[in-house]
Amino acid sequence: MYNDMQLDALRELANIASGTAATSLSQMLGREVDLQVPRALALPLADAVDAAGDPSETVTGVALPLEGDLEGIVLLLISDEGAAILCRLLGVEPGSDVAESALGEIGNILGASYLAALGSMTGLNLLPSPPTVLTDLLGAIVATVLAQTAGDCDFAFVLDSELDVAGEPCAISFLLLPAGGGADELLTPLGLAGTTA
Amino acid sequence: MESVRMGELVVSATDGDELVAIGLGSCIGLAMVDTQAGVAGLAHVVLPESGSAGGPPGKFADTAVPELLAQLERAGAVRRRLAAVLIGGARMFAIGASLDIGARNAAAVREQLGRLGIHVHAEETGGNRGRTARIVLGSDVSSQLAGGERTSLLSLAGRTGAITGAVRGLAGAR
Repeated sequence: MYNDMQLDALRELANIASGTAATSLSQMLGREVDLQVPRALALPLADAVDAAGDPSETVTGVALPLEGDLEGIVLLLISDEGAAILCRLLGVEPGSDVAESALGEIGNILGASYLAALGSMTGLNLLPSPPTVLTDLLGAIVATVLAQTAGDCDFAFVLDSELDVAGEPCAISFLLLPAGGGADELLTPLGLAGTTA
Repeated sequence: MESVRMGELVVSATDGDELVAIGLGSCIGLAMVDTQAGVAGLAHVVLPESGSAGGPPGKFADTAVPELLAQLERAGAVRRRLAAVLIGGARMFAIGASLDIGARNAAAVREQLGRLGIHVHAEETGGNRGRTARIVLGSDVSSQLAGGERTSLLSLAGRTGAITGAVRGLAGAR
């Protein structure tokens, strides 16, 4: 598990990286985007699903597996209403094939800018793979991602940021889930790894 | 309603109890019931094999099935009367071609059930959509897609009620 100093450092990484992502989203939408204070969570799998939201809610998920120096997945979760608003702001019909690729493109841009910022702070080479977009139960989406990234660990590690489109009921939950349930690769370049209790 | 989350496993012998695994993607909701004894259990299985990995017994097929059986037997179930229903095991992402955890989970659960001689009554697995598995004791075992209707896979409105009814009927006639 991680101590307070490590969790603070990870939160700060997430804060800066998601700030960059928020700027990109703002430019894409032509709207102001507010950033909530990110969370760095190390939780048992079952609790990690609950921390991501109501498992029975139907949401749109955009999943981008990582390539490069860190194994894991970037996952965006957007409520039905939020997805419809993003589509409207981008001028596409919600629920259409074009809407799906537009949401995938938001994933691409957010993922790429977040990972570029995270990479420049840690010296790691981090790139997103092409996105997969799906609409389903939040629980099913998050559990399936966790099974792949943290299935064989006792704990899942999640960096969780929330981006809010100003003046709209539209929140994007941005999750970074490193494989192996851990964030040692992120802590090592900061000189903070290896002190885990 | 009792929520059965990732890696968890719940057994009940109380009529009307509701055990629910919400949002099964690649995970398997394994329901096992002994209708005659009025006992049912639900496991939310995450991965096929425990290997060296840690976690509660409900998390892996090779530990979840024996543990669920043991808990059901302690609650009064009889192995040869048990009926199993598998729900979930979807392939939700096209990520990692070799990594169809859903199908591997379903196969591993089936293998464990076969090894322990437990009858598989119904299966609603595969595809690319998430499901919710639900047991309502005294009613049924059902599967539900996001935004869809419940599909009943096994009726539990069974013998216990019927027998009680018959005995009551005799007592009344006397």
